[in-house]
Amino acid sequence: MSRLRGNVRETYDMPDLSFAKLVYPDRVGAFIKTATTAAGASVIEMQEGDDINELIRRAYPNAKTIASNVPGVKADLNPDDVAKPQDLDGTDVSVVAGSVGCAENACIWIPQTMKQRAVCFICEYLVIILDRDNIVSNMHEAYSRIEMPELGFGAFISGPSKTADIEQALVYGAQSFCGVTIILR
Amino acid sequence: MSTQHSRKANEFVKDTAVVDRHDATFWAVRSRRDTMAHEVPEWEDLREAASRIKKHTVTHLADYLEKFAANAGRNGVQVHWAKDADEYNAIVLEILRAHDVRKVVKSKSMLTEECGLNDSLIAHGIDVVETDLGERILQLLGVPPSHIVMPAIHITREQVLECFRAHGIIEKEGRKAADSMNGDLDKLVAEADPTFLTRCARYHLRDNFMTADCGMTGANFGIAATGEVVVCTNEGNADMSTSIPPLHIVSMGIEKLIPDYESMAVFQRLLARNGTGQPTTVYTSHFRRPRPGSEMHIILVDNGRSDILGNEDHWQTLKCMRCGACMNTCPVYRRSGGYSYSYFIPGPIGINLGMLRDSDKHYGNCSACSLCCSCDNVCPVKVDLSTQIYKWRQQLDSMHHADPMKKTMSEGMKVMFDHPGLYTAALRMAPLANHMPSWLTGIAMGPWCEAHDMPRFAKKSFHQLWKSGLDEK
Repeated sequence: MSRLRGNVRETYDMPDLSFAKLVYPDRVGAFIKTATTAAGASVIEMQEGDDINELIRRAYPNAKTIASNVPGVKADLNPDDVAKPQDLDGTDVSVVAGSVGCAENACIWIPQTMKQRAVCFICEYLVIILDRDNIVSNMHEAYSRIEMPELGFGAFISGPSKTADIEQALVYGAQSFCGVTIILR
Repeated sequence: MSTQHSRKANEFVKDTAVVDRHDATFWAVRSRRDTMAHEVPEWEDLREAASRIKKHTVTHLADYLEKFAANAGRNGVQVHWAKDADEYNAIVLEILRAHDVRKVVKSKSMLTEECGLNDSLIAHGIDVVETDLGERILQLLGVPPSHIVMPAIHITREQVLECFRAHGIIEKEGRKAADSMNGDLDKLVAEADPTFLTRCARYHLRDNFMTADCGMTGANFGIAATGEVVVCTNEGNADMSTSIPPLHIVSMGIEKLIPDYESMAVFQRLLARNGTGQPTTVYTSHFRRPRPGSEMHIILVDNGRSDILGNEDHWQTLKCMRCGACMNTCPVYRRSGGYSYSYFIPGPIGINLGMLRDSDKHYGNCSACSLCCSCDNVCPVKVDLSTQIYKWRQQLDSMHHADPMKKTMSEGMKVMFDHPGLYTAALRMAPLANHMPSWLTGIAMGPWCEAHDMPRFAKKSFHQLWKSGLDEK
């Protein structure tokens, strides 16, 4: 510490960050476009009278094991109740709630609101439920809106896990989920 | 005349197909980066802000580190300080031993590479599994990374297949991988299909995530205001590594600190766009507290960083966030490959960091720069990369690393340019060289003459033409 203090020659002030930032007149439209192109996710716009469980079933008709603790979502496994995170391995579809979506890059803030956060990553496919009113234009707005939950973990997630490590060929489904469906309500 | 870099580059360029592919791959990444940058109207404001936030943070680093450590401690995270690589490796080993850890799953961390952690752990009987696909391939092949963001880009799909086969991964996971794609196993193997190979690795690594006793990550950013770390990946391997095992160790260089979420937004917007040409990494994960029933440790590593802060010419390398853009754009890196550099970080930032680490060992990399300054223009935090390389070159003589032939030639040129009479006489004589036999003029003056013919001297010099009023054209 003393070496760090002693080695500073000149100090610099924190800059002003109030410069103009990218905003979209149609945030929801921009979000859907980024999510379905660059991020590689699917988006379902929930309509009046739609049943969430039916939408999930329709998106993943072959799913045998669904894991979730989101109220109102029918699930076979609950990440609050499993004895250990390994018990969630083999989950076909996990359903989680996002609190803020960002139009510029399709990031969705997923706060850890379940005991085992492995549920968010261990599944083959992830369903994220997001209120369209919670979509902002850029990451500056997103960072001013997000809240860290009591459990002390949260992640911005933008589409399925991917890699281009083998000859730059883009492959979805690296170590985590292979596909993402965002349900906008 | 040749340097360590140019000799190794000579090996790399022997296979022109490999060079062309390497060059095209990274130029494509650079082009994607440009497209991304042009989509953000405030791009230059972001770069300027990022540079100034980093300047502010590193010149107040002790204060921010104290704040960060205090906040992390309050969050229930155990904070450790390591002054160098040995101390760092010892701390990791001590934590692992205290938990009786036999297997560690690791997400990509350049700091662990810098400190030689894997070798240290393996020497102590701990199984280390890299979980980034590229890093895992290299680990199984037993070779180092050739790029900091795309470490295995120089390996072909056939080499990956051969490597997976040799390690029994195809035999064990191939059927499952083929079924997951509804594909034909034999055909996928014959084609060395990248999706198939990625799926094989997925199932192979899944087993390791399930059975590891500890997950290790680096940190892209540390946030002083909250005491949390941020890890950015595309594969989700950092999240898999930390949401299953009961122990999480974060290794973080002290320069990774930034003040708060407001600053984080600036860096989040720049990192992936600039590094790989994507609007974001798939995961931007914030770790603030240990998982219920598990432990989280953060090791803050100096390993020479506080000395760099005191280096007037090079302290701004501490602003670097390791996006890799300077190597993607570098014409020398693109055509000479990562292995031509003696330091494990190649390209413009690696030349500088290598010199700061050990100039006797890494001065040969200083020649790997044409001073085109492209790196300066893409760096998201405005590190003065090419100026710094230029400065190293000026110091090579005082470090006794100046090339003797270049030095003799420079001295000869100095004598000539300091004496106009001698210069004019030499110019008059020069056309005589046109009539000399080529074996005399073609003397290989080192690499400059490779693939170049001796130029023909003009009959009259520019001086003579100018004096005679340019009438004899």
